[in-house]
Amino acid sequence: MKKKILTYLSLAEIPNKKMEAVMEIVEENGIDDIRKLVADKGVMSVLSANEYANLAKKFDVFDSYVKNLKSDGIEVIIIDDENYPNRLKDLPDAPLLLYVKGDASLLNSDCFSIVGTRIPSNYGKFVTEKLARELAEAGLTIVSGLAYGVDSLSHRSALEVGGKTIAVLGGGLNHIYPEANTNLAEEMMKKGLVISEYPPFSPPTKYTFPLRNRIIAGLSLGTLITEASKKSGTIHTKDYTLDYGRDLFAVPGNINSSKSELPNELIRSSQAECVIEVDDILKFYGIDGVKKEEKTVEVSFDEQTILNLLKDGEQDFDYLAQKSQLPTNILNSCLTTLEIRGLIRRMPSKTFMLA
Amino acid sequence: MLSTLKSFGLTGIDGFTVDVEIDIVGGLPRIDIVGLGDTAVKESKERVKSAIRNSGLEFLPKSITLNLAPADIKKEGPIYDLAFAVGILSASEQITTKDYKDYIILGELSLDGKVKKVRGVLPMLISARSKGFRNFIIPKENENEASFIENINCYAFSSLAQVVAFLNRDVNKENYLVKTKRFADIATKNTNKLDFENVKGQKMAKRALEIAAAGGHNVLMIGPPGSGKSMLAKCFSGILPDLTFEEALEVTKIHSVAGELDLNEGIITERPFRTPHHTATAISLTGGGAHAKPGEISLAHNGVLFLDEFPEYSRHLIETLRQPLEDGYITVARNLLTITYPASFTLIASMNPCPCGNYGSKDRECSCSPTQIHKYLSKLSGPIMDRIDIHVEVDNITYKELNAENKEEPTAKIKERVDKARAVQLERFKNSKVFSNAKMSVPQMKKFCPLSGDCQRLMETAFTNLKLSARAHDRILKVARTIADLEGEENIRPEHIAEAISYRGLDRKYFK
Repeated sequence: MKKKILTYLSLAEIPNKKMEAVMEIVEENGIDDIRKLVADKGVMSVLSANEYANLAKKFDVFDSYVKNLKSDGIEVIIIDDENYPNRLKDLPDAPLLLYVKGDASLLNSDCFSIVGTRIPSNYGKFVTEKLARELAEAGLTIVSGLAYGVDSLSHRSALEVGGKTIAVLGGGLNHIYPEANTNLAEEMMKKGLVISEYPPFSPPTKYTFPLRNRIIAGLSLGTLITEASKKSGTIHTKDYTLDYGRDLFAVPGNINSSKSELPNELIRSSQAECVIEVDDILKFYGIDGVKKEEKTVEVSFDEQTILNLLKDGEQDFDYLAQKSQLPTNILNSCLTTLEIRGLIRRMPSKTFMLA
Repeated sequence: MLSTLKSFGLTGIDGFTVDVEIDIVGGLPRIDIVGLGDTAVKESKERVKSAIRNSGLEFLPKSITLNLAPADIKKEGPIYDLAFAVGILSASEQITTKDYKDYIILGELSLDGKVKKVRGVLPMLISARSKGFRNFIIPKENENEASFIENINCYAFSSLAQVVAFLNRDVNKENYLVKTKRFADIATKNTNKLDFENVKGQKMAKRALEIAAAGGHNVLMIGPPGSGKSMLAKCFSGILPDLTFEEALEVTKIHSVAGELDLNEGIITERPFRTPHHTATAISLTGGGAHAKPGEISLAHNGVLFLDEFPEYSRHLIETLRQPLEDGYITVARNLLTITYPASFTLIASMNPCPCGNYGSKDRECSCSPTQIHKYLSKLSGPIMDRIDIHVEVDNITYKELNAENKEEPTAKIKERVDKARAVQLERFKNSKVFSNAKMSVPQMKKFCPLSGDCQRLMETAFTNLKLSARAHDRILKVARTIADLEGEENIRPEHIAEAISYRGLDRKYFK
């Protein structure tokens, strides 16, 4: 019954805080029917006139709404349910119910979130992809917010290595934002999990994004910030992580890059653990990393020349051409071959770096 | 008195014979022009009247009817002025011989009796020659255009009085005969064009353009503002093979019809390079309109169409390029007629990687939101991207590179290699309608691009590891074929495929 009432309140878009108040009244008065709920004086006094009107109005559509949820493959998990994430349950502002689509068992797995800027630099992309992949390979579930940049890179990297990943949305499950990530979200509904505390029809707003960050932080053992500026929305996730007493990790970056401001600052102030390789996180949790066999790859003389030139960091094509003295066609084909073999990465504006 | 003369008209770039009939009878003085002429034809009567008077001849105040046959095809422009004047003078017996019957007469008149240039002389002459006409009277200003056509006698005049004297056999005919020139004598070798020698760095882009020129591939250049995309594009036409005489005639025909021909040169010897602005209308691009003229894409025939800031062109405009890019011609249908213009060009498009231009730049930060970048890139429609084989990134070069002493390869040297690769292709496709690798059909690709086991393995790993889109497959194969041709290799080798893959930037994950 509690589930029914909570779903009903959520359908009427009652905010989380007021839901809690209403639920207290429900328990005190022993309300066991949503008809009684609407008629209850105490409930009336908690809600604003608008909210109450909305509650009364949604009454008739409730059954068909629940049916639709089922046919859409959306599951409702309330705070009393067994598969409600334990880490989230004890938080003061835990959502009373979650809409989930995908593999709900992931909620109680070892979750670890990776968050950061929507516009990462080449370095940020490299770091995010590398760490997300390695953490997912080590068995952690990668949690993030499906936004552009670091978020979607983390999800994608986890999926690429066949790892587990959860996206926490700032709106309902039928409102994938940004739209460009719809395909990613759909893939995650099949292979991972997408969750939201908002009813499926509810569009995201600028207030809901910071709020969903509390779920990202609360769901996870720890949070890693790869790249973010001081003004980034990542600040919210950082604050929640620290408030909830979870572990914060950050990847250092160049001091002249605005995108490394936040992680560098967190490391300086000792708020975050410094991460320069995946073991820094895995050892923290006592997880054994997947030991990769050092593959000795045979490379040609020309290819070795290129690899040597890239040892000092990313370089662009013209630099490589000038230093290696290789003709353009050979250089081009060597670079592609190296990339196909996963030894180097190609970045926009014909920049290359070691993988 | 009735007299009949021959003149010529154009639909598209092909001509049709026009019979000009003049009938003069007694009655109130008036001139009527019939035969579906446009306003310029209708106004012709005023010019003809004054021109005859001002040439010291007599304009009879009688009832004159002028007819242009066939009367159901629209005739445009002032090209019938001279024919009208000759007809009237003949009907009024001021021209005494019937010599005019042997000539096709083309020319506009000014009020003082001068014969002025007209559009489309070259295509009309070529078309008339194929219909068996050999003798022409044309304006002196158009003489150069006519001088490259063999087996015809063209007489060029600068005034009506000269024409009358000529037709009355008062002067030596030879004085007005246009002398034939040989194409080879004037075909200049890229005289004042930009040379690749002057473009510092940009090795990857240069190589990509070399491949594009060799295989007839379309190119998209991606790079921040000021990185030299336009300059590279301008250099590009210099490495294309020289125009053959037939190609030159075709190009000249189109330019002549459009009235864009430099009359001092007469024939176009260099591959055209057209850069329509992104605010251009669809009709200015495709051709057509009320007074049908070839559009920019036809003016770029056998040359280069450069579309700078590609995503700024309206979607509609870019989609109109689909048919010409595929077929090499454009058919424009208007209510009165349907015209086909040739439009076989190499498309060079350029764009910024994002609205601000700095996405992915090493030293400048991009100020665009991810949504903006996504929207910007999504302006490139799939069907158009399917027709662009090569994507190449161009980046700003550093001051050091700019002032480097090392010599860059000159255009002439690159052109040598391109010419060689083209020769290989001409041999390969000699029994088909295709001239370059880029235009290969699917069966031809099967035949001419067999892949060894090594190549296939490479392709496979490349597709899975680099997440190339499926549409990239054929493009890569075609470009690899051209690279092999440039190296003089019979078979495609893995390194050719690897290089070809490096020119598929936009298909790649890192650009998303």
